[in-house]
Amino acid sequence: MRGKRVSGAERNRQGMEDKLLQGRPDVLVEVDRDRAGGGLRTEEMLVNMGPQHPSTHGVLRLMLRIDGELVLECTPHIGYLHRCAEKIGENVTPVQFIPITDRLDYLAAMINNHGYSLAVEKLLGMEVPERGRYIRVIMSELNRIASHLVSFGAYGLDMGAFTPFVYAFREREYILDLFEQVCGARLTYSYLSIGGATQDLPEGFPERLAQFLDYFEPKIAEYNNLLSFNQIFVKRTAGVGVISAADAIAWGLTGPCLRGSGVKWDLRKCVPYDIYDRFEFDIPVGLPGGVGGAPREAVVGDSWNRYYVRILEMQQSVRILRQCLQQLPSGDFRAKVPRVLKLPAKETYLEVEGGRGQVGYLVVGDGKAVPRRVKIRGPSFCNLSIASHVCRNVLIADIAAIIGSIDVVMGEVDR
Amino acid sequence: MNKFSAEDALRPRFTAAHKALALRGFVIAGVALLAAAVGFGFVAGVAQGVGYAAAVGGVVLAGLTGACCLLAAFVIRFAALVGRVLLTLALPIFLGGVVGIVVLAWIPALLYERVDGIKADHPGAAVSVAQFEAALTGNAAAARGPAYLAALALWPLQFQLTRDVLAVVGVVGFVSLVAMFGIWWERKVAGRMQSRLGPMRVGGWHGWAQSLADGLKLLQKEDIFIAGADRALFRLAPYVAFIPAMCLFIALPFSAAWVARDLEVGLIFIFAMLGVGVLGVLLAGWASNNKWSMLGAMREACQMISYEIPLGFALLVPIMTLGTLRLTAIGEAQSGGFHTWLAFANPFTFIAAIVFFVATLASCKRAPFDLPEAESELVAGYLTEYSGFRWALFFFAEYAEMFAVAALASVLFFGAWYSPLPASWGAAWADGPLWQRAVHGVLYSGPIWFVLKGFFFFFVQLWLRWTLPRIRLDQVMYACVQVLLPLTMVALLGNTLWLWLVRPGAWLAVAVNLILTAIGGLTVVAMAAIVLYGYLNRRRLVGTMAVDPLPGG
Amino acid sequence: MTRGWLYRLPLPALLAASALAADGAAAPAADPGKAVAFYLVAAVTVGSALGCAIATNIVRMAMCLLGTLGGVALLYFLMSATFLGVIQLIVYAGGTLIVIVFGVMLTSRAYGVKLRPRPVEVLAALVVCGALLVGLVAVLLRTDWPAAPAGGAAEGTVAALGGSLLSVYLVPFELASVLLLAVMIGAAYLAQPALPTAGDGAGPEE
Repeated sequence: MRGKRVSGAERNRQGMEDKLLQGRPDVLVEVDRDRAGGGLRTEEMLVNMGPQHPSTHGVLRLMLRIDGELVLECTPHIGYLHRCAEKIGENVTPVQFIPITDRLDYLAAMINNHGYSLAVEKLLGMEVPERGRYIRVIMSELNRIASHLVSFGAYGLDMGAFTPFVYAFREREYILDLFEQVCGARLTYSYLSIGGATQDLPEGFPERLAQFLDYFEPKIAEYNNLLSFNQIFVKRTAGVGVISAADAIAWGLTGPCLRGSGVKWDLRKCVPYDIYDRFEFDIPVGLPGGVGGAPREAVVGDSWNRYYVRILEMQQSVRILRQCLQQLPSGDFRAKVPRVLKLPAKETYLEVEGGRGQVGYLVVGDGKAVPRRVKIRGPSFCNLSIASHVCRNVLIADIAAIIGSIDVVMGEVDR
Repeated sequence: MNKFSAEDALRPRFTAAHKALALRGFVIAGVALLAAAVGFGFVAGVAQGVGYAAAVGGVVLAGLTGACCLLAAFVIRFAALVGRVLLTLALPIFLGGVVGIVVLAWIPALLYERVDGIKADHPGAAVSVAQFEAALTGNAAAARGPAYLAALALWPLQFQLTRDVLAVVGVVGFVSLVAMFGIWWERKVAGRMQSRLGPMRVGGWHGWAQSLADGLKLLQKEDIFIAGADRALFRLAPYVAFIPAMCLFIALPFSAAWVARDLEVGLIFIFAMLGVGVLGVLLAGWASNNKWSMLGAMREACQMISYEIPLGFALLVPIMTLGTLRLTAIGEAQSGGFHTWLAFANPFTFIAAIVFFVATLASCKRAPFDLPEAESELVAGYLTEYSGFRWALFFFAEYAEMFAVAALASVLFFGAWYSPLPASWGAAWADGPLWQRAVHGVLYSGPIWFVLKGFFFFFVQLWLRWTLPRIRLDQVMYACVQVLLPLTMVALLGNTLWLWLVRPGAWLAVAVNLILTAIGGLTVVAMAAIVLYGYLNRRRLVGTMAVDPLPGG
Repeated sequence: MTRGWLYRLPLPALLAASALAADGAAAPAADPGKAVAFYLVAAVTVGSALGCAIATNIVRMAMCLLGTLGGVALLYFLMSATFLGVIQLIVYAGGTLIVIVFGVMLTSRAYGVKLRPRPVEVLAALVVCGALLVGLVAVLLRTDWPAAPAGGAAEGTVAALGGSLLSVYLVPFELASVLLLAVMIGAAYLAQPALPTAGDGAGPEE
C-alpha cells in the first residue's frame, strides 16, 4: 500500500491521546525516558487497578503509572460508592438516619450507630441508662473484633494465603450469629439507636458471649502461628509502605494506621467517651524489629505493624468484653425517647474510635425534627489519602500489601 | 440437604416430546442393528464367501452397537430408576473404577508376556494368525476354531507399533485420570484444611464426579475469541503447553517393566519437556492481546526458566552418583530398602532432593511461587482470556506436570517403585504364579508404590499451596539466584568430593547413611503420628463451638 | 497491487529443487514405518522453516521456528541419537527460542506491524539461497556417504560423548565454558540499570 508508513507506535500514540481525552487512561503511554548513560529505553504504562478488582477492598480505582514492575505513581479515584448519605441526613430524623450510618463502615456498623447516637444525645443532652451504655460497648467491641477479622482474613487473601481467610470467617460466623440473636441482622444492624439499644439483650446472651470469648481467645495465637510470623508473609509486608509518625499525624491518619506508626493515640483511652474510662485495656502500637515478638525485619510504621496492631486490638477487645460482662447491670436498655425529637438550634461534633479510625459526626440542629446538616468524618477517607504518598517506587505486588494494610472500606470513604 | 436426584438433572432440559422421540429412535436403531447382526452372521455362516474376520467383526460391531442403543433406550425410559441406583451405588462404582483401572493396567502386561512367549517359538518374521491359533490351542493344525478370535486379538500385539499406540493411549488415559483426580483431591484437601468439606454432591459420595462434571461443563462453553488476537496462536497455545506435559509420561517408569519407552536419556528428556512447556505460557500471554496477560506471561516464563537452573543442577546429583541417565536404572539402584534410597545416601543428595522439590514447585508455578497467576495481582495472568476447554487444557497440563514431577522426585530420590522393604526379601515371589506376583507387587516393588509416592508428593504440593502466602517476584528471583543456586553448587561439589573420597563401605558413609535414614524415617513416623492424632481428636480440633439454641427457637 | 506473489515465489522453487535433488538412491531401510515417520517429520520441519521465512508476523515466525527446531529434534530421535535430540530440545527449543521470544515480546514496539520485505531484498535472498542450495546439493551428491551401522552405538553414547569431551576435546570444551562465562558477565553488565549521577535525582530502586 502506498502512503506514509506510520509506525505502530505513532498510531498508538495518536489513538491513545483521543482515549485519554475521553477519560480512558488504560492505554499505552510512551514516555521516552532515556536513562543517564544511555541504557535501554523503557516505556511507562498507565494501568488501572479497579474499580472491580479482587484486592482493592471495595470499589476503589487505583491508577498506577508503572515502569515494568515498579510503580512510580499511584492515584486513588474514589466516589464509586457515593450514596449521598450526608444529604439524606438533612431530610430524615435522627432515628431514621441510624440505618444510613450502618452502611458507612459496613464492617463495623454498630460502632457507627454508637457514634451517631452519642452525637445526637450530646446535642439533646439526653441521659442514657447504664444497661444501655454497657450494651452499646459490648456491641461495639464485638463488632470491632468482627471487623478486624475481615481485615486480617482479606489481607491474608491478598498475600496469597487462602486459609486464614476462611478461618477468620468461621470465627466471624459465630459473632454474626450473636448479632442475629440480638437484632435479627447480620451486617447492618441499626440496633444501637438514640437513647440506647432498640431492644434488650435476649435471654442467655451473656453466657453465649462468654462461651464465644473462651473459644475465640486461643484462636488469635493460631492466627499468629499461621500468618503473622510466617516468614513469607513477613517478607511481603515488613518494611513495606513505611509511614513515619510525623507523616501519619500530618496526613490525618487515625486508628490502626496511626498506632502502627508508633503514635499511642486511641480515643477510647485518650479522650474517653461513654463508659470506656471504666475498663482496663492497653493500646497496642507499632513495634520495631525484634521487640515484643516482632520479626527482625519489622519497622515501626510498616504494613506488618499496621496489621499486627489489629491482631493485638482483637485481644484487647476481648479483654474489654469480659469486663463488660462482669459489670453488666440490669435495668432499662433505652432512655425515654419522645416520639418526635426536636433538635435544638445548636451543633455538636463527636468522634468515636471506629474499626478503621476516628469516625466523626457533626450534627447541626435547627429547632426542627430534621437536622440542618449532618457531616460524617470517614476515617478511611483520610487514611486513603496517604496512598499516593506511600505508594511510590514500590513494586506492584506491594500495592496490594499497602492498601490491604491501610484497610479501607469504601462505604466510609465515599459515604 | 436435598439429595441430588435424576429428576433434577433431566427435568428442565428435555421435554416429554424429546424423550419420546429419542426413545423411539433408539429402540428402532437397536432392533435394526441386532437384526442385521444376526442376519449377517447367519449369511456368513451359511455362505462362507465373506472373509471370516470381516464377518466376525461385522457381527460383533453391529451387535454391540445395537445393544448400546437398546441400553440407551432403557436409560431414557427408566431414567429415575437408573439415577437412584447409580447414586446408591456411587461408592462401589468409584472403588470399582479404581480397581478396574488397576486391572486394566495389568492385563496388557500379561498379554504381552503371552505374545512374547509365542513369538519366541517362531523366531524371525512376523507370526501369522494361524500360528497364534495353533499356539493357543496347542494343536498345530487347528484352523478357524474357537481360538481364532483370541488369536485375531493377539496378533497385532506382536508389533512394536501396536504396543506403542496402546502405550500412548494408556498414557493419555492415565494423564487425564490423574488430572481429574488431582483437581478433585485438591479441592477436598483445600476444603478440609480450611475447615470446610469441599465438593460433596456431584456423584453422591464426596463429590467424586466433580471433575467430570466440570470437564463436561467446560466443553460446552462458548468459544470466545478476542478481537485483535492472533487466532491461530490463540488456538495453538494450550496444545503447546499440554503436549510436553503428556510427553513426560512416555519416559516415566511406573515400574522396572512398566515404561512406555525406556529411554537411555530418560532423565534429561523429562527435563527437556519441562523446559519446552514455558513456550506455551509465553504464547498464551501473547495471543491474548491483553497487556496484563503478556506481563503475567513474561513474569511467569521468567520464573520458570530461572528455576530450571537449580533444577538441572539438582538433577545432576543422582546422575553423578549412579552414573546413568536411564530412569529404570536409577530406580533399580534403590531397590535395597529404605536406607538405599538416594536421598539418604549422603548429605549432599539430601540437599539436592530438597532443592529439586522446591525448584519443581517454582517450575510448575505452584504456590508459594504462583504470583504471576495470582488473582489479587494482575487478574489471572496469562490465563485471563482463556475460557472453556482451552482453560481446562492448561489446567490439565499443570496437574499432569505436578504429578509427573512428584513422581520424578520419588523415582530419583525416594525409592522409585520400591517399598521400604528390601526387594531381595521377596525375590522368590517375583516370578511365581499370578497371585504371588500380585502380592510381591504390593509388598516389595510395584507400580502401586510409584503411584502412592507420587501422590504423596503431590499432596505435599497441595499442602504448601493452601498454607503459605505468595512470594513476591523479586523475592522469588532472589531465592533462586542467591539461595537455591549456591545450595545446588554446594550439593554438586560436595557430592563429587564425597564420591571421590569416601569409599562405599567406609564407616563414614555407613554412619551418615544411618543418620539420614533415621531423619527420614522419623519424619515419616512423625507425619503418620500427627495424622493419627488429628483423626482421633478430629471433633475437638475442628473448632466447632456448641451453641445452645435460643429458648423457644 | 500486493506484492504477495513475489515473496511467495521462492517456495515452489525450493520445493522443485529439493524434489529434483532427492533421488531414489537413499532407499528407505527395511522398516516402512520409519520411512513414513521420516518423511512426515521432514515435511513438518521444512514447512515450518518456510513458514518462518515467509511469515509476516514476528511471533508467528518464532512459533514456526519452534516447529523447525522440534522437527530437527525428532529427526535426531529417528536416527537413534536420542541424547542429541534431547539436547537439541533443551538448548534450542527450551533456551534459544525462549530468548528470541522474550526479545521479540519485550522490545517489539509495533506488535501488529507486518514485516514485508522489499522486492530487491527478495531477489537478493533468492540469489543467495539459490546459490547455497545448489552448492549444498552438489556437495551432498558428490560425497560418498559411508553406511553407518544401524542403530549406532546406542549404549554408551552419553558416556562416550562425556569421555571424549573431557579427554580429546578438552580444549574446545574449556574454551566454550570461558565463552559462556564471558556471555553471562556481559549480560549481567548490560542488564544493570544505570547508576544515578549527582544531578539526576534518585533513580528507581530495583
